[in-house]
Amino acid sequence: MTLKGTYKLPARRQKVWDALLDPGVLARTLPGCKSLEAVGPDEYRMNMALAISSLKGVFEGKVRIEDQQPPESYRLTVQGRGKIGFVNGGGSFRLRESEGAETEIEYQGDVKAGGTIASVGQRLMNMTSKMMIKRFFTALEKELTPPV
Amino acid sequence: MATTTTAPKLKTHVGERIRRTEDPRLITGAACYLDDITRPGMLHAAVLRSPYAAARINSISIEDALALPGVKAVYVGKDVESVGGVPCAGSMPDLRIPNHKILAGDRVYYVGHPVAAVVATDKYIAADAIERIEVDYEPTELVSDPEEALQEGAVKVHPEYPDNVAFTFSQEGGDVEEAFRQADVIVKEKILVPRLAPIPIETRGVVAEYDEGSQELTIYSSTQIPHLLRTQLALQLNMPEHHVRVIAPEVGGGFGSKCNVWAEEALAAFVAMELKQPVKWVESRRESILVVAHGRAHVDTLELAAKNDGTLLGLKLHILCDIGAHHQLLTPIIPTLAVLMLPGLYKFRSFKADLIGAFTNRAPSDLYRGAGRPEATYVIERMVDKLAAEIGMDPAEIRFKNFPASTDFPFNSATGLQYDSGDYATAFNKALDIVDYKARRAEQEAARAEGRLYGIGISTYGEICAFGPSPATPAGGWESASVNVEATGKVAVMTGISPHGQGEETSFAQLTADALGIPMDDIVVVHGDTAKVHYGIGTFGSRGISIGGSALHLALQDVVAKATKYAAHMMGVDAETVTFEGGVFSSEATDSTLTLADVALEAHLCRQLPPGTEPGLAATRFFEPSNFAFPFGAHICVTEVDKETGEVDIQRFVAVDDCGRIINPLLVEGQIHGGIAQGLGPAFQEGVIYDDEGQLLNGTLMDYSIPKARNMPWIETDRTETPSPVNPLGTKGVGEAGTIGSLPAFVNSVVDALSPLGIEHIDIPMTSQSIWNAIHERSRT
Repeated sequence: MTLKGTYKLPARRQKVWDALLDPGVLARTLPGCKSLEAVGPDEYRMNMALAISSLKGVFEGKVRIEDQQPPESYRLTVQGRGKIGFVNGGGSFRLRESEGAETEIEYQGDVKAGGTIASVGQRLMNMTSKMMIKRFFTALEKELTPPV
Repeated sequence: MATTTTAPKLKTHVGERIRRTEDPRLITGAACYLDDITRPGMLHAAVLRSPYAAARINSISIEDALALPGVKAVYVGKDVESVGGVPCAGSMPDLRIPNHKILAGDRVYYVGHPVAAVVATDKYIAADAIERIEVDYEPTELVSDPEEALQEGAVKVHPEYPDNVAFTFSQEGGDVEEAFRQADVIVKEKILVPRLAPIPIETRGVVAEYDEGSQELTIYSSTQIPHLLRTQLALQLNMPEHHVRVIAPEVGGGFGSKCNVWAEEALAAFVAMELKQPVKWVESRRESILVVAHGRAHVDTLELAAKNDGTLLGLKLHILCDIGAHHQLLTPIIPTLAVLMLPGLYKFRSFKADLIGAFTNRAPSDLYRGAGRPEATYVIERMVDKLAAEIGMDPAEIRFKNFPASTDFPFNSATGLQYDSGDYATAFNKALDIVDYKARRAEQEAARAEGRLYGIGISTYGEICAFGPSPATPAGGWESASVNVEATGKVAVMTGISPHGQGEETSFAQLTADALGIPMDDIVVVHGDTAKVHYGIGTFGSRGISIGGSALHLALQDVVAKATKYAAHMMGVDAETVTFEGGVFSSEATDSTLTLADVALEAHLCRQLPPGTEPGLAATRFFEPSNFAFPFGAHICVTEVDKETGEVDIQRFVAVDDCGRIINPLLVEGQIHGGIAQGLGPAFQEGVIYDDEGQLLNGTLMDYSIPKARNMPWIETDRTETPSPVNPLGTKGVGEAGTIGSLPAFVNSVVDALSPLGIEHIDIPMTSQSIWNAIHERSRT
């Protein structure tokens, strides 16, 4: 399954970049994230709860950040495993500063799922992924918006 | 003066529409299916399956699972190594059979591959414990697509077999190259026949119980083949067969999926013997769709050579069958049936077929209703239609032109089969009359003038049934029957077939009632228990009535002969002068009569019979046919396709089937109706979908689309009856007919509807989306 899209965030590029690579921010903004800890340079261990179709499960996974071109682009690879199957994915993120101190993020990636999650959840995978991406960016936007 | 009295003639039963005697217990919930069985101290098993299509297993940690209260044991591959592998009955010289262990060793080969089993005090604990097993999988390269599997440099499914070839099979008849040289026209097509999940209403299940004292293992399994399973389990567990008893309780559908020997059966047996406690395993619907051998799975390439006048000359076929990662019981045999039946009902002069079975990282494929014949019939019926369109001939006319005449039987097909009897033109004409073919063509012309897409699809199908002569079957082609007239005059019939919805308790009672002149209520038909019925092969390949019923017929004849002899002795007359009618023996000479019950009682008491007479009134007979039987028929489907949506409206569906002599028309119609549903499902919506990672993507009934009542057309059935000469009943079999005939009728109808747009073929399932896409691709170009 291919996912791609853009999202506009109300902050300057460097600030968005820093947030995207901050484990604390990611732990707060990634949907279902139970824990996120660094296990090496640009490598994290993550626990994530996921519900899709009639399935619910916790995925344990590794997140790695590669090909960093601060503050323009990087690649993210995710490998998660749980009782209801596994999810492997990878994608690239490009950050562009637009007028008015806004940053547009363009993302493009592939997600592959296996096991029960593939045979049972396939129908809803696309929708669920889009919903999760939206929740992530909404949460990130909140992080980046200074409290009133 | 003696008056002759004739016993009142009882109503005959054979040929009557008699309702199934099985139904009251099924409808009221009194029937006992596998999951209804409980045994004292029974444990429950659950199976952990691989989420990967190909992976190395580095380690399995079971401690957490064992720690869960209620968990009795956890088994992994190395624990069950003493159990023999899952058997495969193929016999090609180049057949490769990878070691098919009942639990995976250090590798898994497909999604759903059994990896471990948990045994617990209830099924919920077992299911929870499964989630506590930690398996360290190391995913490896894989190949999911069968065509890719055969390409050079493809990933090896089994490292020991570098080309992924599981087996090959070739057959040739006549001079096919000469036929192609003589041809005026050659039509070609590549046709995909997708994988289908069998979806019996009742999934698989096993209860295993071991008695240490008697060393007897009792296996209850939702199976079509209790006797073959007994033999195979005895081999897998290295036990004498007489210590293994297999019971098939009420079985809620099989469609071939339970004509198999499954890993879980031996696994349950092993666990029950290990723990000395009964254990039950019942498959979930998800497991069923994932791993119960899928049917079909062909990529077929065909070339058909013909004359411009429609005379069929030669046929070339290449079948690529996706067999999955392992063989099940009949995996390599099923596609050979497709080769054998490919000439259909036609007088081909030459034929050449190459079959190749490819290993892929997918679940095993094996038999599903029709097993090879729907594949064959679908592709030949498509090709004949394609040829008709190519030479501008009516698809009905081209079929009549190539049928053998009814006087040509027994007819030798291009593949060397001998079709036992047939009258194809009569059945086809009947179907054409019912649908009013000329009027439909006129209606089509009118519809086309208005720009509407109206199609008439024909399928004239042939079928190989009543399996079969033993030399041509992998496990023996005979069947057994015992008839026991009890001292009270009631009759027990023991049969080796194992009905699971076919209704043979009814049809066998009909045969018995007529032969013995007693009411059906006085007859009980016993099946599905190897301790009660000592020998049998089982129910598959439409063999119930033709083989099992014929064995019964012979046993009934023996009983009547025996009883006539005893009655004559009791009446003091010669046996030749005794007549038997309506359950009464009568002697005109002495003006005396005896009922079957009178004779049966005497046969048990032995007070008047000559010394040395064998007590009781029973007979056991076996029957093996000299040849298969070949049913046939014609299905016609009239459709209109909505140009805007691609939706197909089935306006008429006519099925004229000839399954030889009919014992119970109601049961025949039931088989035809159900069969048509299972033929139409794959025509317009069914099919297992795998992605290129070997993941099955439609693994629930929300995603895997079997036909619902609202998808089904009104079915108009009729029949002709051409008796088979190869068994004493003249029956042929009807279990698969509907599935075989209906699919091509639908597809031909939709292609006929779309033909004004220049569309020549759409692969199945022909969903509204794929039809819409085809329509719109055409209107764009």
